Amino acid sequence: MDWLANLLPHLLNGVSLGLLFALIALGFMLIVGVMEVINLAHGSLFALGAYTAIALITYKFNFYVAFLVAPLLVALVGMALELCLRRTYGKDALYGLLLTFGAALVIEEIIRLAWGSGEKQLMVPAELSGAMVVGGLIYAKYRLFASLAAIALIFALYLFLEKTPYGAMIKAGAHDSEMVRALGINLTRLRLFVFALGTALAAIAGIVLAPIWGVRPHMGVDAVVPAFLIIVLGGVGSFWGAVAGGLMVGIVVGVTGAYASEWSLLSMYLLLIALVTFRARGLAGRKTALEN
Amino acid sequence: MKRRQVVKALAAGAAFYGPWKVNHVWAQAAQKKPLVIGLTMDASGQYGASGADERLGAMLAIREFNEKGGVLGRRIEALHMDTETTPATGSRVAERMITRNEAAFLIGGVHSGVANAISQVAQKYGTVYFNTNSSSPTESGKDCHRVKFVWDGNGTNFAHAIVKNAMKVNGRNWVLLTNDYVWGHNTSKAMRGIIEANGGKVVEELLVPQNTRDFTSYLLKLQQLRPNVIGTAVGGDDIKALRQQVVQTKLDRSYAWINNQQDWPDVYGLGPDAVFGVFGTTWYYRLDLPGVKEFVAKYQKTYPGVQIKVPGNVFHNGYMATRELLRCIEEAGSTNNLAVIKKLEGRRMSAADRLQHHDAWIDPNTHQCQQSIYMAAYNDKPAEPDDIFRIMSQVPPQEVADQDAPKACKLESYAQTPSYEQ
Repeated sequence: MDWLANLLPHLLNGVSLGLLFALIALGFMLIVGVMEVINLAHGSLFALGAYTAIALITYKFNFYVAFLVAPLLVALVGMALELCLRRTYGKDALYGLLLTFGAALVIEEIIRLAWGSGEKQLMVPAELSGAMVVGGLIYAKYRLFASLAAIALIFALYLFLEKTPYGAMIKAGAHDSEMVRALGINLTRLRLFVFALGTALAAIAGIVLAPIWGVRPHMGVDAVVPAFLIIVLGGVGSFWGAVAGGLMVGIVVGVTGAYASEWSLLSMYLLLIALVTFRARGLAGRKTALEN
Repeated sequence: MKRRQVVKALAAGAAFYGPWKVNHVWAQAAQKKPLVIGLTMDASGQYGASGADERLGAMLAIREFNEKGGVLGRRIEALHMDTETTPATGSRVAERMITRNEAAFLIGGVHSGVANAISQVAQKYGTVYFNTNSSSPTESGKDCHRVKFVWDGNGTNFAHAIVKNAMKVNGRNWVLLTNDYVWGHNTSKAMRGIIEANGGKVVEELLVPQNTRDFTSYLLKLQQLRPNVIGTAVGGDDIKALRQQVVQTKLDRSYAWINNQQDWPDVYGLGPDAVFGVFGTTWYYRLDLPGVKEFVAKYQKTYPGVQIKVPGNVFHNGYMATRELLRCIEEAGSTNNLAVIKKLEGRRMSAADRLQHHDAWIDPNTHQCQQSIYMAAYNDKPAEPDDIFRIMSQVPPQEVADQDAPKACKLESYAQTPSYEQ
């Protein structure tokens, strides 16, 4: 059973990594699901979250205040982006794609201008830094905090979407926006809110991951690619699909990292190819009319 | 019109246009075509930070020459394009700079795959190319070229300087963490050779794909393997992330860490905790040598707003390489590529001139600059906040020479190298 004892830490690490991946993907999924916009600026907003938190900490706010306030500030940027996107609604999806791509470049350059292109550190509070021993192995305390934060946020978002009237409106908007409008719901405001929420989630993910990945202007690229992959893997628009996709990617990357490390980054793409080959709509994607 | 009036008109015309014509000819003669130098440096990707740093070094050398009137009476124009830490982009940029922008020389390279790609294009056209900061032993070994000159110490040089001593102090069982590309592979290969030749054992080699951000699975695996020493050949943004995560888990205190080469932009600003282990470098801004303080002051005066407040090894290589190229052009009295190559081959550079402890020279058989190698560790008694390295020893180039490179390097002949003069 030695092999199992050896494997177990890597499985647990994979789950923890998967939760972080899921956290990155959820905001992305929310915007794709409701707005039908692939937000290529998601990665830049992820980075902006980390930088905004650093700026707040520089101004003597503590980590927890920065953790709460920075996503709200980034959400305002997201709202401004949504205002720009309005002209693209109902047109070819390429317009939205190009606009968000342009926004990604602009945000990244603004980050460079404001904070420079060098490495930044997001310092974590003393109680979260350092290490602990789990099963004879040393593990970063902050990594545990990040995993717990990801679990809390995933459940909070789930409860919001499932148990509140706003959540019901968002889901309805994703399913049939015309019907939602016909029922007298202000769809314009709903879209603005969803974009702000998705952006705030990107910023939160950026803050949570900053002490692990480090903070640099192009850090968003490292986030947006797995996020895109996870929502395809999980099935576009599916909440639990995205979570399951994130966990699968995390476990595959974590275990290959330990036993066939050169394959660790590639493994997530191989997983996607394997899954999409047998189930093109992803883990929890809905059947299309053609499949019935 | 009377004849006298015609003569007056001609005289007036000559008086008016004459000097202008003369001045025009004079102006044409003075305004020689600028010398275009292509800076093939990363501004993004894994080595974006180092690319920016070596660019500052090259720009300073160019600026100094331009202030003196350029080279051979020609102003120097630096043209930069981002090579994106991607070999395919490096090829494309080199091709474009040579064929469209008429770049006479190319300078820049941190990623060995990118440097190799650029040098293949450069050799095709005969364009002299300076690989300023990439360190795979293959760059001056099997991938050497007549037009390419390698200015950084390579993985083998650093391994010679560090590994034997680390084995004596820390033990014989090693795990290697290797960035999964040409520099990582060849640097780890050099380390493995020295470890095994001295009775040590590489328990396992873990390959780290480029752009890895989460090292937790590696850190868990390292704990399961329990080596005496962890030798890393990881660079750029990857080593930054690794260092941060090692510090978080406090594994810097549990194992001996050896980083083959530590570039200054990859450690600057990470905080003192992240500077753990023993590592190699080619230069430090507080070397106790004449001229170093002035060099640092010049950097700070020229670049007051940059994030890296003091120059490091990457800047130093960028500056020294560019300055030497321009000196060679002046000495050759021509921009003819073969004439410049001949000036560079076997060139000796004094220690005082390069602000190092030992004289340096360019090996005519491999085109690699043989220079001092420094072993360094964290400085627990810093004289100022940026003073984060403690230089433990300096090793002369003869003692760390890469013996395999001359065997592997087959330079193209002069006849096989296209000749040009821009």
